[in-house]
Formats: sequence, structure tokens, C-alpha cells
Amino acid sequence: MMWRDVGVTLILSLILPVVAQGARHTPPGKPKLTSCRSPDKETFTCWWEAGSDGGRPTTYSLFYHKENSETVYECPDYHTAGANSCFFSKNETSIWVNYNITVVATNALGNNFSDPVDVDVVYIVQPHTPENVTVGVLEDEDGPFLRVSWEPPSKADTRSGWITLIYELRVKLEEAEEWEEHRAGQQKMFNIFSLHSGGVYMVQVRCKPDHGFWSEWSTASYVIVPDYIPRERSMWILIAVFSAFIFLILTWIITLNRSSVKHCLLPPVPGPKIKGFDQQLLKKGKPEEVFNSLVVQSFPPRSTDYEDLLVEYLEVYVNEKQELMPEGKDLQDVGCLKSKSQSDNDSGRGSCDSHTLLMEKCGGVESKDESSYEEPELLQGQAGSWERLERGDSQVVDTPDSSDGRVKTWPLVFSPSIHGSSDNHHYGTLEMPKQHSTSEITYSVPDHLFPTSTSFPHHHHPEYRDSLGEYSEYRCSRSPSTGVAYHWEARHPTQAHSNFNIRNLERQKEATGLGLPPSRSMEYVEVQKVNQENQLVLKPLSSHGRGPFQRQREMAEAGQYCNYREKEGAEAERYPTQQQGKTTKDGPVATQLQESTCLTTSGYVDTAPTMPTF
Amino acid sequence: TSQSLSSVSVVSLHPLLLLFLCMCQASAAPICVHGQAGCHFLSLADLFDRVIQHSARMHSISSDLHSEFEQYVLPSRNHIGRINRHCHTATILTPNGKENAQRLAVSLTTLFNQLLFTIVLPLSASCSNLVCSLMVLPLSASCSNLVCSLMVLPLSMQHLGMISNSLSGLSSPEALDPSSDTSGESQAMSDHDLLYCFRRDSNKVQNYLKILKCRIVPENGC
Repeated sequence: MMWRDVGVTLILSLILPVVAQGARHTPPGKPKLTSCRSPDKETFTCWWEAGSDGGRPTTYSLFYHKENSETVYECPDYHTAGANSCFFSKNETSIWVNYNITVVATNALGNNFSDPVDVDVVYIVQPHTPENVTVGVLEDEDGPFLRVSWEPPSKADTRSGWITLIYELRVKLEEAEEWEEHRAGQQKMFNIFSLHSGGVYMVQVRCKPDHGFWSEWSTASYVIVPDYIPRERSMWILIAVFSAFIFLILTWIITLNRSSVKHCLLPPVPGPKIKGFDQQLLKKGKPEEVFNSLVVQSFPPRSTDYEDLLVEYLEVYVNEKQELMPEGKDLQDVGCLKSKSQSDNDSGRGSCDSHTLLMEKCGGVESKDESSYEEPELLQGQAGSWERLERGDSQVVDTPDSSDGRVKTWPLVFSPSIHGSSDNHHYGTLEMPKQHSTSEITYSVPDHLFPTSTSFPHHHHPEYRDSLGEYSEYRCSRSPSTGVAYHWEARHPTQAHSNFNIRNLERQKEATGLGLPPSRSMEYVEVQKVNQENQLVLKPLSSHGRGPFQRQREMAEAGQYCNYREKEGAEAERYPTQQQGKTTKDGPVATQLQESTCLTTSGYVDTAPTMPTF
Repeated sequence: TSQSLSSVSVVSLHPLLLLFLCMCQASAAPICVHGQAGCHFLSLADLFDRVIQHSARMHSISSDLHSEFEQYVLPSRNHIGRINRHCHTATILTPNGKENAQRLAVSLTTLFNQLLFTIVLPLSASCSNLVCSLMVLPLSASCSNLVCSLMVLPLSMQHLGMISNSLSGLSSPEALDPSSDTSGESQAMSDHDLLYCFRRDSNKVQNYLKILKCRIVPENGC
């Protein structure tokens, strides 16, 4: 049994391939006409696809017959249009005639007919793509635009009207994804606006007969749009101009109301509250009245504390040979105070570093005429030179050789409430720094005399007045050893010699030298200059009816006074002569200086209304 | 109007032309040919454009009708009869190729024969099918527009001296008379065939008009 099965299997395995091979030969499969197209409505082509060939070589043939005619024709041309195609030439083509077309597949075993297809050439027209597509960039007042132009396909006869074509084009930026399509109708030219400046555009065109199929898109044409300013930017320019115009109008309006705007935005800094001070009166140029009105009976305020003001005490030795400025018309007015005590422990020397001096010496308060304050403008920044605060300064001897100028220092602390008292014992003393030189009249104004932050109100001196309405000045030379920088003189930080007119002596500890020991009688002395050896040259000032000792009252409360000694002319000779001989007034000065008193410093820095300019 | 048209035998073109002209004058806006006062004058190119537009519209209507007829009415019908379709206008000798059309288009008579045959006969032919009757109604409106436009055309051309006063070369009136058709098949023309033939004929008319336009007034679009 088993043998038989094996034998059958063997035979079957041998026979089956042969049989199977024979079974692969069948009549061909059914072909199928895929499409018929006419490019020009004068010829047309039909294509078909073959079915299975049945294992045998298969031939295809196409047959057709026209409507209302039984005559069957075969395809005249199988090769022109390629494989599996049939091309109908102009002679075989009739328009408005129905063609019934059939394809037959034939092989050795049989044939197979395809389904017939009715074709009217009029409705199967598909032209070629438009030709000569040109794209150009043209300029317009609104900007550049594209002009696309083309020609109909050469095969389609549009000239005689046989075929009527309508066109369509599409545009996009090279990097864009979506095409922008436009119908152009029958025209052969089209304009595209609203371009992106500097972009690269692609353009394609296609066409279609009035009853037919669209052609293929033409090959893309590239065009680069030059850069230009788009219209929107000109609109922004217009908006900017308009805004500028509005801004100008607003500025004009604000300018008209300048004062009120300024008052609103920059509220005025409150000025000094000097009781009784009348600025307008001062501007009129009558300082006497101004100063008189400042006289306050309640001076000195003993309760106020002026920490930032220094009280400087000077011990001044007056040299009768001091030279006075030629201008010193006020010199006559200057009163000299005679020191009460001619001698002290520091006889002949102005030493201001001793607290005890204050008590012993009388401070010479120099008072000046108000008229001397009529030249505040001298203070204004002249480079490297101290301005003369007042006319009275002009009386002072020329600047020492080492100093650039005289500096008038107003009392750092000025209390408007200082009022003169009957006490004549006002002094001020300049507290000398510890290291003050030992020159004869050498004193140094310690740097704490002048507040670092404040600008010294040279020009404010008109507003300063003591209770007496008088200003006292003295000059203090700064010993080089101290190296003190007087900050209030911004330009002379290292002034070797600085002449200061220290109006008031500051208290040593308290800022303002408001209080003055009222128990001293003093004379007012003006420090005119400091000579090379840091010697203070003083000249007494005469008071004008005002109690010269009122000033002293100011100093009364100051704990320290600057004692200076007035010497007779003999002593004055000890001072180096001034550079300029101004001996004319030395005499009276010298005389006056005999009563030199300590200077007092009091006062305060008034930074209002304007900042100092130096 | 279709009834009145059917009763009139086409003997000569002139009376029919006059008839149509009367119809057109009554319905449409007056179009002057001679430039009379009080009417709107159109140039020849404009006339051609207007006529072509009318023919294009008529063709689109007819092709829509035909496709709708095939889609909704015909699927149940037998397609075999399509091979033996005979259009009623088959007897009219019309060019079937470009060269022929260019040659023969010069003759306006041929054109008019074709046009009138195309327009008049469908209107006069009986529609057995109710659907066909309903579909043909919009055709009449566009047909009247086309006819009116066409009526002006030869008159303007005659005014311009392009054609002679008498229209010669007419085909035999008997040939145009549907009633004299010996084939006897025109009555049996199905509605589908009618629509099919009408679509084709309107295409022919449009194409002929375009050829004529490009020959006479070739300024734009040719």
C-alpha cells in the first residue's frame, strides 16, 4: 500500500507542473480604454490598458465606427502616441460626430473585447500648456507689481476662433505652501500686486477650452521682487509727522503756562525762614533795611543745635601795617574793635585752638556795611580764585601770594533769631586745629569749620545777617600743615592759604555758633588777609550805629571765641608786608585793630535760594 | 409661440426673419442697426460678442439638461438605441471640421439655416415626455434671446455692406420643413436624442459664430 501511495504522489508531482503549465495559457484578459484626448480639436489619441495576457503573447487592436454608420474601421496609427495607444489623424477625425471605439486583445487562445466607449472629439479637448510664460517686475506709484504674460499652446488654433481658451495662473512665494490662483479669462496677460518686498515668487499658467479639460501647469517661472518701502510705511511716516505736530502744540501750550507747570512739577524749595527777612527789599538794593528787619530780639536761640556747623575760633594778631585794598571805601566805615584785653596767655599770637581763649578773649566781630554786600556776583565761579564776597573784601589786602584769593566764609551757622543783646561780650573764636602752625598769626581753620556738604554761601551773604544786621568777616588762613580742604570752596581743596571770611565762629561742638557769651565786649575785626606765614591780618571794623557788641552777643553763647590780639602798629610790623602796598588805610586800620577782638562765627549756611556756583 | 411657429412653413427666409424680428422688437430692448435716434447702438464687434454670449448660455443650458436627463431619466433606459441616433439637423450640411467650417462659415446662409433649424425645430417638435416638455421651456427663453440677437446680426452686416440684400444659397425649403421629412424618424426622436442633438447643435452655433467673429472683427479674443 505504501508503495502505491508513493508512486501516485511521484506521478502527480511530475504531471502537475506540466498540467499547470498548460493551464496558464488562457485567452487574454479584458482590456480597458483609459482615456481619449485631443490637444487641438483636430486630432485625438486614445489609450488603453491591457488585462492579463493569459500567458501568451497578446496583440491589441482598436476598432471604431462613427455614429449612424456601420462601417468599422481600425486604428490607423498605433505608434505615434506610444504603446497601447491609437492616434487619429486629421483626416480621420470628425468633429461633432460620435465615435464608438472598442479595443480587442488577441492571443493564441482567444480574444477579448473591451467595453465600447462613445467619444465626441469636441468634449475631450485638453490643450498643451501655455507657452512663453514671462514674468516681469514693473513699477507703479504704489510699488512694484508683477506682470505675467504668456502665449497659447502652439497646437491650439485660437486665431481663427476654432478653439477658445481661458487661462488660469497661480502665484506663491518660494517658501510659501499655498498657491494663490487667479482666473485670467481669455486675456494673455495678468498683473499681480501687493508683493512682498525682496521676495522670490513662482508663477505657473494653464489653460482650458470652453468645453474641455484643463491643461497641465506650465513650468514655474521665478522672479525676484526688489526692495521697496511699502505703502504702509509711508502711512506710519504720516502718523509720526502728525504726532510730532501734536507734540509741538503741546510743548507750545506748556511753554505758555511755563510758570504754572513749573510750579506743579518742581515745587519751589522753601527758602530760608528768616523771620522778618524781606528778599524783595534786598533786591532793591537797600541792605540796610533788610538787615534791620532781621533784627530779632530773641537771638540767640539757645536751644537750637547746629551740629554740622563748626565754631571756629581765631586768635588774631593784628598788624597795623596791613595793606588794605584801595577800594576800601568802606574802610572808613569799618569799625575797629578794640580788644579788651591786650594780652593773654597767647600773647601776640592768634591761637585759636584753645577753648579758654574764648572766655578770655573777646571776639572781634567784624561787621560790615550792608553796602558791602552788594557784590555777590564776585563770588561766582572764577576758577581758582576766591571771590570777594563783598565790597568790603576789597578792602582786604590782596591775596597772599599763596592763596588764590580771599574767601569769605559766612558764618556757617547763622541764626536769624540771633539778636543783639546789650552784652558786648561776644566773641567768636576759631577753634584751631590741634596742629595749627605756630606762626605768629597762624591759625588754621579746621575743616570742620566748614561743612563739607554745604556750599558756602558766598553769594548768600546778603542774606546773612546777624542780629545786628551786620556781618562779620574774618579771614582765616589755613595753615598748610593742616591740609584741610575747605569743601565749600570746591576749587581749592588743597589751598595752602585760604582766606576766609568767617562770619561767625562756630561752636566747637555745636554746629551753630548761635550762642555767644554775652559777657564779653568785643570789637569787630575783619580779617583781611593771611600772609605767607599763615598770619592773619586783621583790621577792625567799625560798626555803623549798630551795636558792635551785638555781634558779640551772638558769640556769647558760643563756647569758644577766637581771640586775636590787636597789636599796635609795632606788632603789625611783624607781619610780612603785603604784596601791594595799601598803606593808606593801614593806619586807621591799625588803630582800629588795636581793639581787635575775637571774631565770632555764627551763622549758618543758607543754600537757598540758589546753589552756590563755585 | 411654438404652435404658431410650427404651423408656418419655412418657404423663404425673409418672412421668417421678419416674423422673428417682429417678435424681438416686441419683447427685447430695441437695438438699432441704422443708428436711429432713441435707441442704443452697438458696434459690430459688440453685436458679435452679445450673440456669442447668448449661444454660450444656450449651450450650457442644453448640456445641463442632457446630463441631468442621462443621470435621472436614462439609467433605466436601454443604451443600444444610441448608436442609431439621428439628429433632425443631420440633413443640413454643416462643416464637421475646421477647414470646412472656415470655408463655409463665410456663407451666412448656411449659418442661418443651421441656426433656425436648431432653434425652431426643437420648439416645434412634440415632447412626448413630460420631463422633456418641462425642460424645453427654459430653452425657449434663451432661444428667443439668441434668435433676436441673431436677427440683428445680418441686418447690421447688410448695413455695413458685407452681405447682399438677398440671401442666396438657401437650402431647399422642403429640407427645412420638418413635416416633409421623409425619414419619418423625427417624430420618433426620443426626448433624450432631442436633448442630445440640441446640445450638439448649440455647440456648433457657438463655434460658427466665433469663427465668423474672428474673421470679420478679429480685434480681441482671436
